[in-house]
Amino acid sequence: MGSYRHALAVCDPVGVSPMPGTGRLEQLAQAVAERVVTLVLDSIDMDELLSRVDVDAIVSKVDVDGLIDRVDVDKIVSRVDVEKIIDRVDVEKIIDRVDVEKIIDRVDVKKIIDRVDIDALIEQTELGTIIARSTSGVASEVLDVVRAQGVGLDDFIARWVNRVLRRSSTDWPVGPPALVGRPPPVAELTTGGR
Amino acid sequence: MTSVVPDEPVQGRQGHYAGAVTRLVAFGADVGASWGLFTVGAAALTFSIELVTGAKFSLTGHQLASLVALAMWEFLYFAYQWSLGGKTIGMAVLGIRVVRTDGMPIGPRQAVVRTLTLPLSFLLLGLGFIGILLNRDRHALHDRLAGTAVVYSWDARAARLRWLARRDTGAAA
Repeated sequence: MGSYRHALAVCDPVGVSPMPGTGRLEQLAQAVAERVVTLVLDSIDMDELLSRVDVDAIVSKVDVDGLIDRVDVDKIVSRVDVEKIIDRVDVEKIIDRVDVEKIIDRVDVKKIIDRVDIDALIEQTELGTIIARSTSGVASEVLDVVRAQGVGLDDFIARWVNRVLRRSSTDWPVGPPALVGRPPPVAELTTGGR
Repeated sequence: MTSVVPDEPVQGRQGHYAGAVTRLVAFGADVGASWGLFTVGAAALTFSIELVTGAKFSLTGHQLASLVALAMWEFLYFAYQWSLGGKTIGMAVLGIRVVRTDGMPIGPRQAVVRTLTLPLSFLLLGLGFIGILLNRDRHALHDRLAGTAVVYSWDARAARLRWLARRDTGAAA
Protein backbone atom coordinates (compact mmCIF):
# COMPACT_ATOMS: atom_id res chain seq x y z
CA MET A 1 0.00 0.00 0.00
CA GLY A 2 2.86 2.32 0.81
CA SER A 3 4.48 1.76 -2.56
CA TYR A 4 1.14 2.42 -4.24
CA ARG A 5 0.86 5.82 -2.52
CA HIS A 6 4.45 6.50 -3.41
CA ALA A 7 3.71 5.79 -7.06
CA LEU A 8 0.75 8.19 -6.93
CA ALA A 9 2.93 10.88 -5.43
CA VAL A 10 5.45 10.43 -8.21
CA CYS A 11 2.75 10.68 -10.87
CA ASP A 12 1.29 13.84 -9.37
CA PRO A 13 4.14 15.82 -7.97
CA VAL A 14 2.42 19.19 -8.24
CA GLY A 15 -0.21 18.42 -5.67
CA VAL A 16 -3.07 20.52 -7.09
CA SER A 17 -5.74 18.49 -5.51
CA PRO A 18 -5.39 16.21 -2.54
CA MET A 19 -4.68 13.48 -5.08
CA PRO A 20 -5.19 14.98 -8.53
CA GLY A 21 -5.03 12.46 -11.40
CA THR A 22 -5.40 9.49 -9.15
CA GLY A 23 -8.85 8.69 -10.52
CA ARG A 24 -7.50 8.06 -13.98
CA LEU A 25 -4.54 6.19 -12.62
CA GLU A 26 -6.80 3.97 -10.56
CA GLN A 27 -8.92 3.25 -13.61
CA LEU A 28 -5.80 2.42 -15.55
CA ALA A 29 -4.49 0.20 -12.78
CA GLN A 30 -7.85 -1.51 -12.55
CA ALA A 31 -7.96 -2.14 -16.29
CA VAL A 32 -4.37 -3.41 -16.29
CA ALA A 33 -5.06 -5.66 -13.33
CA GLU A 34 -8.20 -7.07 -14.91
CA ARG A 35 -6.37 -7.71 -18.16
CA VAL A 36 -3.44 -9.32 -16.38
CA VAL A 37 -5.69 -11.50 -14.31
CA THR A 38 -7.65 -12.55 -17.39
CA LEU A 39 -4.45 -13.38 -19.25
CA VAL A 40 -3.09 -15.33 -16.30
CA LEU A 41 -6.33 -17.25 -15.87
CA ASP A 42 -6.53 -17.99 -19.59
CA SER A 43 -3.01 -19.31 -19.58
CA ILE A 44 -3.71 -21.68 -16.67
CA ASP A 45 -4.82 -25.18 -17.57
CA MET A 46 -7.29 -25.78 -14.75
CA ASP A 47 -7.61 -29.47 -15.50
CA GLU A 48 -3.87 -29.87 -15.31
CA LEU A 49 -3.82 -27.85 -12.10
CA LEU A 50 -6.57 -29.90 -10.50
CA SER A 51 -5.00 -33.16 -11.58
CA ARG A 52 -1.90 -32.14 -9.60
CA VAL A 53 -3.93 -31.46 -6.48
CA ASP A 54 -3.95 -34.37 -4.04
CA VAL A 55 -7.58 -34.15 -2.94
CA ASP A 56 -7.23 -37.14 -0.65
CA ALA A 57 -4.43 -35.45 1.22
CA ILE A 58 -6.55 -32.33 1.64
CA VAL A 59 -9.58 -34.28 2.77
CA SER A 60 -7.51 -36.30 5.20
CA LYS A 61 -6.44 -33.07 6.85
CA VAL A 62 -10.02 -31.98 7.33
CA ASP A 63 -11.42 -32.76 10.75
CA VAL A 64 -14.85 -33.92 9.63
CA ASP A 65 -15.95 -34.87 13.13
CA GLY A 66 -14.96 -31.47 14.40
CA LEU A 67 -16.81 -29.91 11.52
CA ILE A 68 -19.93 -31.92 12.26
CA ASP A 69 -19.66 -31.12 15.97
CA ARG A 70 -19.78 -27.46 15.13
CA VAL A 71 -22.94 -27.87 13.11
CA ASP A 72 -26.10 -27.29 15.11
CA VAL A 73 -28.26 -29.92 13.47
CA ASP A 74 -31.24 -29.16 15.71
CA LYS A 75 -31.16 -25.57 14.57
CA ILE A 76 -31.08 -26.63 10.94
CA VAL A 77 -33.86 -29.13 11.41
CA SER A 78 -35.97 -26.61 13.29
CA ARG A 79 -35.76 -24.33 10.29
CA VAL A 80 -36.92 -27.03 7.91
CA ASP A 81 -40.59 -26.93 7.06
CA VAL A 82 -41.22 -30.66 6.92
CA GLU A 83 -44.87 -30.23 6.00
CA LYS A 84 -43.89 -28.15 3.01
CA ILE A 85 -41.35 -30.74 1.92
CA ILE A 86 -43.87 -33.53 2.28
CA ASP A 87 -46.38 -31.55 0.27
CA ARG A 88 -43.88 -31.30 -2.53
CA VAL A 89 -43.08 -35.01 -2.49
CA ASP A 90 -44.96 -37.08 -5.04
CA VAL A 91 -45.46 -40.19 -2.95
CA GLU A 92 -47.28 -42.01 -5.72
CA LYS A 93 -44.30 -41.55 -7.99
CA ILE A 94 -41.93 -42.89 -5.34
CA ILE A 95 -44.12 -45.90 -4.66
CA ASP A 96 -44.30 -46.63 -8.37
CA ARG A 97 -40.54 -46.79 -8.45
CA VAL A 98 -40.32 -49.16 -5.49
CA ASP A 99 -40.02 -52.85 -6.33
CA VAL A 100 -42.22 -54.19 -3.54
CA GLU A 101 -41.69 -57.82 -4.57
CA LYS A 102 -37.96 -57.40 -4.20
CA ILE A 103 -38.37 -55.89 -0.74
CA ILE A 104 -40.72 -58.67 0.36
CA ASP A 105 -38.27 -61.27 -0.92
CA ARG A 106 -35.60 -59.77 1.29
CA VAL A 107 -37.79 -59.80 4.39
CA ASP A 108 -37.35 -62.86 6.60
CA VAL A 109 -40.96 -63.23 7.75
CA LYS A 110 -40.15 -66.31 9.82
CA LYS A 111 -37.58 -64.34 11.77
CA ILE A 112 -40.11 -61.59 12.42
CA ILE A 113 -42.77 -64.04 13.57
CA ASP A 114 -40.26 -65.77 15.84
CA ARG A 115 -39.64 -62.44 17.51
CA VAL A 116 -43.32 -61.95 18.25
CA ASP A 117 -44.33 -63.03 21.73
CA ILE A 118 -47.53 -64.81 20.74
CA ASP A 119 -48.39 -65.67 24.34
CA ALA A 120 -48.22 -62.03 25.37
CA LEU A 121 -50.13 -61.01 22.27
CA ILE A 122 -52.99 -63.32 23.14
CA GLU A 123 -53.01 -62.26 26.76
CA GLN A 124 -52.96 -58.54 26.02
CA THR A 125 -55.37 -58.38 23.12
CA GLU A 126 -58.79 -59.60 22.12
CA LEU A 127 -57.09 -62.23 19.97
CA GLY A 128 -57.53 -64.82 22.69
CA THR A 129 -61.27 -64.37 22.73
CA ILE A 130 -61.42 -64.61 18.97
CA ILE A 131 -59.38 -67.83 18.92
CA ALA A 132 -61.42 -69.29 21.75
CA ARG A 133 -64.67 -68.52 19.93
CA SER A 134 -63.42 -69.99 16.67
CA THR A 135 -62.04 -73.16 18.23
CA SER A 136 -64.33 -73.71 21.15
CA GLY A 137 -65.53 -77.17 21.94
CA VAL A 138 -64.62 -79.95 24.26
CA ALA A 139 -63.65 -82.20 21.35
CA SER A 140 -60.77 -80.04 20.24
CA GLU A 141 -59.59 -79.71 23.83
CA VAL A 142 -59.70 -83.48 24.32
CA LEU A 143 -57.81 -84.00 21.07
CA ASP A 144 -55.13 -81.51 22.09
CA VAL A 145 -54.69 -83.24 25.41
CA VAL A 146 -54.59 -86.77 23.97
CA ARG A 147 -52.10 -85.76 21.31
CA ALA A 148 -49.91 -83.87 23.75
CA GLN A 149 -49.88 -86.83 26.11
CA GLY A 150 -49.07 -89.13 23.20
CA VAL A 151 -46.10 -87.06 22.12
CA GLY A 152 -44.92 -86.82 25.72
CA LEU A 153 -45.05 -90.61 26.07
CA ASP A 154 -43.29 -91.04 22.72
CA ASP A 155 -40.43 -88.92 24.01
CA PHE A 156 -40.39 -90.76 27.31
CA ILE A 157 -40.15 -94.18 25.60
CA ALA A 158 -37.53 -92.96 23.10
CA ARG A 159 -35.44 -91.51 25.93
CA TRP A 160 -35.51 -94.76 27.86
CA VAL A 161 -34.70 -96.88 24.81
CA ASN A 162 -31.71 -94.66 24.12
CA ARG A 163 -30.66 -94.87 27.74
CA VAL A 164 -30.88 -98.66 27.75
CA LEU A 165 -28.97 -98.92 24.49
CA ARG A 166 -26.51 -96.29 25.74
CA ARG A 167 -26.69 -94.17 22.63
CA SER A 168 -27.30 -90.55 21.80
CA SER A 169 -29.95 -89.48 19.32
CA THR A 170 -28.92 -85.86 19.07
CA ASP A 171 -27.47 -86.22 15.58
CA TRP A 172 -30.41 -88.22 14.25
CA PRO A 173 -32.76 -86.78 11.65
CA VAL A 174 -35.97 -85.57 13.29
CA GLY A 175 -38.07 -86.04 10.19
CA PRO A 176 -38.10 -86.50 6.41
CA PRO A 177 -36.01 -83.88 4.56
CA ALA A 178 -38.95 -82.32 2.73
CA LEU A 179 -40.78 -81.66 5.99
CA VAL A 180 -38.03 -80.54 8.33
CA GLY A 181 -35.34 -79.40 5.91
CA ARG A 182 -31.98 -79.62 7.55
CA PRO A 183 -31.39 -81.50 10.79
CA PRO A 184 -31.82 -79.01 13.64
CA PRO A 185 -28.98 -78.18 16.00
CA VAL A 186 -28.66 -80.11 19.25
CA ALA A 187 -29.97 -77.22 21.36
CA GLU A 188 -33.18 -77.14 19.35
CA LEU A 189 -33.79 -80.84 19.94
CA THR A 190 -33.39 -80.59 23.66
CA THR A 191 -35.76 -77.64 23.91
CA GLY A 192 -38.41 -79.14 21.69
CA GLY A 193 -37.75 -77.06 18.63
CA ARG A 194 -38.44 -73.69 20.17
CA MET B 1 -62.26 -81.18 32.44
CA THR B 2 -58.77 -80.25 33.45
CA SER B 3 -56.88 -78.41 30.77
CA VAL B 4 -53.45 -79.69 30.04
CA VAL B 5 -51.36 -77.35 28.00
CA PRO B 6 -49.13 -78.99 25.44
CA ASP B 7 -45.72 -78.93 27.05
CA GLU B 8 -42.83 -76.99 25.64
CA PRO B 9 -41.12 -80.08 24.17
CA VAL B 10 -44.31 -81.00 22.33
CA GLN B 11 -44.26 -77.82 20.29
CA GLY B 12 -42.80 -77.55 16.84
CA ARG B 13 -43.02 -81.28 16.09
CA GLN B 14 -44.96 -81.02 12.85
CA GLY B 15 -43.16 -83.18 10.29
CA HIS B 16 -41.08 -85.02 12.87
CA TYR B 17 -41.08 -88.82 13.01
CA ALA B 18 -43.95 -90.04 15.16
CA GLY B 19 -43.17 -92.18 18.17
CA ALA B 20 -44.26 -95.65 19.17
CA VAL B 21 -47.02 -94.74 21.64
CA THR B 22 -48.84 -92.38 19.31
CA ARG B 23 -48.63 -94.87 16.47
CA LEU B 24 -49.81 -97.73 18.64
CA VAL B 25 -52.78 -95.78 19.98
CA ALA B 26 -53.68 -94.63 16.47
CA PHE B 27 -53.51 -98.21 15.21
CA GLY B 28 -55.67 -99.36 18.08
CA ALA B 29 -58.21 -96.68 17.26
CA ASP B 30 -58.16 -97.78 13.63
CA VAL B 31 -58.67 -101.42 14.50
CA GLY B 32 -61.60 -100.40 16.69
CA ALA B 33 -63.06 -98.13 14.02
CA SER B 34 -62.65 -100.65 11.21
CA TRP B 35 -64.12 -103.47 13.29
CA GLY B 36 -66.97 -101.27 14.39
CA LEU B 37 -67.75 -100.26 10.84
CA PHE B 38 -67.46 -103.88 9.69
CA THR B 39 -69.86 -105.00 12.39
CA VAL B 40 -72.34 -102.31 11.45
CA GLY B 41 -71.98 -103.27 7.78
CA ALA B 42 -72.42 -106.97 8.55
CA ALA B 43 -75.51 -106.23 10.65
CA ALA B 44 -76.93 -104.11 7.85
CA LEU B 45 -76.20 -106.89 5.34
CA THR B 46 -77.80 -109.54 7.56
CA PHE B 47 -80.85 -107.36 8.07
CA SER B 48 -81.14 -106.69 4.32
CA ILE B 49 -80.84 -110.37 3.41
CA GLU B 50 -83.44 -111.30 6.01
CA LEU B 51 -85.70 -108.56 4.74
CA VAL B 52 -85.40 -109.66 1.12
CA THR B 53 -85.48 -113.44 1.60
CA GLY B 54 -87.68 -113.51 4.69
CA ALA B 55 -85.47 -116.28 6.06
CA LYS B 56 -83.22 -116.25 9.10
CA PHE B 57 -79.63 -115.43 8.14
CA SER B 58 -76.43 -115.47 10.19
CA LEU B 59 -72.82 -114.77 9.20
CA THR B 60 -71.59 -117.33 11.73
CA GLY B 61 -72.59 -119.97 9.25
CA HIS B 62 -70.34 -118.41 6.62
CA GLN B 63 -67.13 -118.04 8.53
CA LEU B 64 -64.75 -118.29 5.56
CA ALA B 65 -66.75 -115.76 3.60
CA SER B 66 -66.87 -113.50 6.64
CA LEU B 67 -63.10 -113.80 7.06
CA VAL B 68 -62.48 -112.97 3.43
CA ALA B 69 -64.90 -110.05 3.64
CA LEU B 70 -63.16 -108.83 6.79
CA ALA B 71 -59.73 -109.06 5.16
CA MET B 72 -60.99 -107.19 2.12
CA TRP B 73 -62.62 -104.58 4.29
CA GLU B 74 -59.45 -104.04 6.33
CA PHE B 75 -57.44 -103.73 3.14
CA LEU B 76 -59.90 -101.17 1.77
CA TYR B 77 -60.06 -99.31 5.06
CA PHE B 78 -56.32 -98.73 5.31
CA ALA B 79 -55.29 -98.59 1.63
CA TYR B 80 -58.06 -96.21 0.59
CA GLN B 81 -57.52 -93.79 3.45
CA TRP B 82 -53.73 -93.80 3.16
CA SER B 83 -53.88 -93.20 -0.57
CA LEU B 84 -56.43 -90.44 -0.10
CA GLY B 85 -54.71 -88.26 2.48
CA GLY B 86 -52.00 -90.33 4.13
CA LYS B 87 -54.02 -90.81 7.30
CA THR B 88 -56.68 -93.10 8.67
CA ILE B 89 -59.35 -92.15 11.20
CA GLY B 90 -57.14 -93.19 14.11
CA MET B 91 -54.16 -91.34 12.71
CA ALA B 92 -56.24 -88.22 12.17
CA VAL B 93 -57.38 -88.35 15.79
CA LEU B 94 -53.81 -88.75 17.06
CA GLY B 95 -52.46 -86.16 14.63
CA ILE B 96 -50.09 -88.30 12.58
CA ARG B 97 -49.89 -89.22 8.92
CA VAL B 98 -48.01 -91.42 6.48
CA VAL B 99 -45.61 -89.81 4.02
CA ARG B 100 -42.91 -90.97 1.68
CA THR B 101 -39.45 -91.33 3.18
CA ASP B 102 -38.53 -87.99 1.63
CA GLY B 103 -41.56 -86.33 3.19
CA MET B 104 -43.76 -86.06 0.10
CA PRO B 105 -47.35 -87.38 0.13
CA ILE B 106 -47.68 -91.08 -0.60
CA GLY B 107 -49.41 -92.36 -3.70
CA PRO B 108 -51.89 -95.20 -4.16
CA ARG B 109 -49.13 -97.70 -4.98
CA GLN B 110 -47.28 -97.05 -1.72
CA ALA B 111 -50.56 -97.11 0.18
CA VAL B 112 -51.37 -100.52 -1.25
CA VAL B 113 -47.86 -101.90 -0.57
CA ARG B 114 -47.96 -100.57 2.98
CA THR B 115 -51.35 -102.15 3.61
CA LEU B 116 -50.27 -105.51 2.18
CA THR B 117 -47.01 -105.58 4.14
CA LEU B 118 -48.52 -104.40 7.42
CA PRO B 119 -49.53 -107.97 8.44
CA LEU B 120 -45.89 -109.03 7.95
CA SER B 121 -44.88 -106.91 10.93
CA PHE B 122 -47.36 -108.92 13.02
CA LEU B 123 -46.51 -112.29 11.56
CA LEU B 124 -42.87 -111.94 12.65
CA LEU B 125 -44.00 -112.01 16.28
CA GLY B 126 -44.33 -108.26 16.23
CA LEU B 127 -40.64 -107.83 15.51
CA GLY B 128 -41.53 -105.79 12.46
CA PHE B 129 -42.56 -102.97 14.79
CA ILE B 130 -39.35 -102.98 16.79
CA GLY B 131 -37.84 -100.60 14.26
CA ILE B 132 -40.17 -97.85 15.51
CA LEU B 133 -38.26 -97.98 18.78
CA LEU B 134 -34.77 -98.70 17.53
CA ASN B 135 -34.36 -97.09 14.11
CA ARG B 136 -33.20 -93.52 13.80
CA ASP B 137 -36.07 -92.79 11.38
CA ARG B 138 -38.57 -94.89 13.37
CA HIS B 139 -39.33 -97.16 10.42
CA ALA B 140 -41.34 -100.32 10.98
CA LEU B 141 -40.85 -103.26 8.62
CA HIS B 142 -43.85 -102.30 6.49
CA ASP B 143 -42.57 -98.72 6.33
CA ARG B 144 -39.23 -99.99 5.07
CA LEU B 145 -40.89 -102.18 2.43
CA ALA B 146 -43.28 -99.49 1.24
CA GLY B 147 -40.80 -96.61 1.44
CA THR B 148 -42.91 -94.67 3.88
CA ALA B 149 -42.58 -92.91 7.22
CA VAL B 150 -45.06 -91.76 9.85
CA VAL B 151 -44.82 -88.16 11.01
CA TYR B 152 -46.67 -85.83 13.34
CA SER B 153 -49.12 -83.70 11.38
CA TRP B 154 -50.62 -82.13 14.47
CA ASP B 155 -49.99 -78.42 14.87
CA ALA B 156 -49.00 -78.28 18.53
CA ARG B 157 -48.35 -74.55 18.31
CA ALA B 158 -51.96 -73.92 17.34
CA ALA B 159 -53.06 -76.20 20.17
CA ARG B 160 -51.05 -74.12 22.60
CA LEU B 161 -52.68 -70.96 21.29
CA ARG B 162 -56.09 -72.55 21.76
CA TRP B 163 -55.17 -73.51 25.29
CA LEU B 164 -53.92 -70.01 26.08
CA ALA B 165 -57.06 -68.51 24.57
CA ARG B 166 -59.31 -70.79 26.61
CA ARG B 167 -57.36 -70.04 29.77
CA ASP B 168 -57.59 -66.29 29.23
CA THR B 169 -61.28 -66.30 28.40
CA GLY B 170 -61.93 -68.60 31.36
CA ALA B 171 -60.05 -66.25 33.68
CA ALA B 172 -61.94 -63.25 32.29
CA ALA B 173 -65.28 -64.99 32.92
